[in-house]
Amino acid sequence: MQNTLESKTGQRAGALWLAQVISGALLILVLGLHMIANHFVVQGGLRDFADVLAYVSNPLIFLIELVFLVVVTIHAALGVRAVLYDLGPSRFVARAIDWLLIIVGIGAVGYGVFLALSLQAMA
Amino acid sequence: MEQTQTASRPAPPRRRPLLAWFDVRRDRLGGWAFALNRLTGLALAFYLALHLVVLSKLLGGQAGWDQFIALARTPLFLSMDVVLIFGILFHGLNGIRLALVGTGIGVPGQKSFLRVLIALGVIALVVAAWRVFAA
Repeated sequence: MQNTLESKTGQRAGALWLAQVISGALLILVLGLHMIANHFVVQGGLRDFADVLAYVSNPLIFLIELVFLVVVTIHAALGVRAVLYDLGPSRFVARAIDWLLIIVGIGAVGYGVFLALSLQAMA
Repeated sequence: MEQTQTASRPAPPRRRPLLAWFDVRRDRLGGWAFALNRLTGLALAFYLALHLVVLSKLLGGQAGWDQFIALARTPLFLSMDVVLIFGILFHGLNGIRLALVGTGIGVPGQKSFLRVLIALGVIALVVAAWRVFAA
């Protein structure tokens, strides 16, 4: 029983580590695109207001930025979880950490989508 | 048998686990890379939240955004951008190393690989810093 539980915990830790690696690899691509499109090819390093509205109104850009937001949120949440688990939380606290990070992550993605849709409506 | 029992026993709670990040006695280069990876990761997670808050200024219309852009172009803010790019480069490049080592691909010669990544990171940081201040 104990071994089964530990085996499941080990499998879960392995799956989360793999998710961290895959999201990290994806981030190199989408963060690279985000940095180039928003900062390195833009005059002055930042888009002006009208430029931002035009940028987020492009459906392809919206999709890429949405993927970026989801991937970066997953990667950050898994990273913060790993750090907090380093502190040796009890099973109850560990579960609370997991749920808190899930809620914060969904909140961050939801807020990002709301922001982009609001800007599209202003365009 | 004793070994199996020891392996299945929960690890005793470690004292000061965060300070253990900075214990580089066994592996100096890898130890610092691990500690810095954790620190840059936490800083980037904080920055992600801050970035979303800053973007909310867009909802206030052109005046609010222009005010932010004026602030973002001050030398202090641009210097912080360079620190941010350092964090991204370090965390990203070291993350590639950790992924390769963790999957067993980059185990032989990982120290040399880390040195190559550090060199690449320094070059990329210099180019990015030049772009930030020249833009």
